Amino acid sequence: MRIDLVLELLDSPGQLVKALEPISIFGANLVTVVHKRDYKNEKGRVPVQLTLEGEHEDLKKVVDRFEELGFSIIELDGVVRKETVTTIFYGHIVDQDLRDTMDRINELDGVVIVAFDIKLNGEKESTALINIEVDVGKKQTVFARIAEIAEEKGLLVINEV
Amino acid sequence: MDECKVIIMGFGSVGQGVANALSMKKDLIKDKTGVAVKVVAAADSSSSAISQDGLDEELLVKTKNENGKLSAYPEFGSDVSGADVLDAVEYDCLIEATPTNIVDAEPALSLTLKAFEQGKDVVTSNKGHLALKFKEVVGAAEEAGVEFKYEASVGGSMPIINFTKDTLASCEIKSIKGILNGTTNYILSRMTSEGSEYEVILQESQELGIAETDPTQDVEGIDAACKTVILANSLLGIDATYSDVKVEGISNINSQAIELAKKDDYLIKLIAEVSPDNLQVSPRLVKRGSSYDVSGTLNMATIQTDLADEVSVIGLGAGSLETASAMLTDLISILKNKY
Repeated sequence: MRIDLVLELLDSPGQLVKALEPISIFGANLVTVVHKRDYKNEKGRVPVQLTLEGEHEDLKKVVDRFEELGFSIIELDGVVRKETVTTIFYGHIVDQDLRDTMDRINELDGVVIVAFDIKLNGEKESTALINIEVDVGKKQTVFARIAEIAEEKGLLVINEV
Repeated sequence: MDECKVIIMGFGSVGQGVANALSMKKDLIKDKTGVAVKVVAAADSSSSAISQDGLDEELLVKTKNENGKLSAYPEFGSDVSGADVLDAVEYDCLIEATPTNIVDAEPALSLTLKAFEQGKDVVTSNKGHLALKFKEVVGAAEEAGVEFKYEASVGGSMPIINFTKDTLASCEIKSIKGILNGTTNYILSRMTSEGSEYEVILQESQELGIAETDPTQDVEGIDAACKTVILANSLLGIDATYSDVKVEGISNINSQAIELAKKDDYLIKLIAEVSPDNLQVSPRLVKRGSSYDVSGTLNMATIQTDLADEVSVIGLGAGSLETASAMLTDLISILKNKY
């Protein structure tokens, strides 16, 4: 059987070789690899498209190994495995230590803020829209952290339904 | 039995809507159920009109609008008011349309319990007693062996309580999420389409009669929270009361938040969430074009079930005849069951 997947690599030397290793180790065949180092996504990572062929068992081992090695599989057979969480904060966002707010979201495993759009309103409350990329299944952790920060800093949160 | 004598308690917008709707639909109800509905009393906050032989619905509305008081009803006007009306005349069903009171649920609570004690059925549009003492009130109806229907308390004409109980009877209800307040939906919709600030639209809504002079119940999410409690108790079997709901209104929503949301293809709506681990009313982001994307004074709800997956309903959440439609439907279902 054949699978298509998209991995995310750090933009540093040796990453692609490291990613290809498990394929031969577990006896799968590499059919296609598309690697454009000059294209980076919003997290500054390089997506690599792979098509692999092999026995179901072997392919599963390869995929598991990718995950053990810490490569994010953002797409498997055309299905994106990351989710985006969008939320709005309203309040004294900057005064209430914006950096701390962002750090505390980013420190969660598999969670990255990918966009931050803020409207300032002089000394008054500001409004910010945040896009967060989240590993599948981790949305609730993000919502819990956002609620905790908002409670502590007196911010109004507008989450997705 | 081929006659059902009703008392309409509360003669504001909803009570008058019921009178008007009854006058329009009496013949249809008789055809459908074989029962003639007769209004034997109608009462406002300080007076009433009472006649065992029946009152004229249109004349009731006319009297109230021209004189401000039902005591001015020709021949049958009376100073009897409140719970005493229930003793003054023989009746079968109380149509209770007094204003919602979220502090002590009166006068709805006393009126309803008294009707139950007298062995009478009750149809209500009131949220106060249901939000504060759901178990007690529903328990009292069961004990008395009478019918108690409250479709009109949530979503006006939008079918949700009977719809979920009867039409989705095969399903377990996992959660309900929806827009349960028309006034706030109207304000947010206009802020979105016009880019205006909250205060401006609120004032215009008040001038148009969509928002009340004191808009607190709507804009602070209190009204939607009451409905959340009613849905939680009646459809998900959650023993909750008003204080169990986390409530955040829309008065902090500004045009900047709406603008930012728009850029990402989102709208801001006041959403009520009813699920075993979350009872909450709060502004939320909803995708443009999703089932939550309804504007104006419309209400909507998405019911998450085990067998049928998601089912959504949409309808007008307020209005005199619209709310009356839900009350008449409740009355008809009582007539079909009992008569």
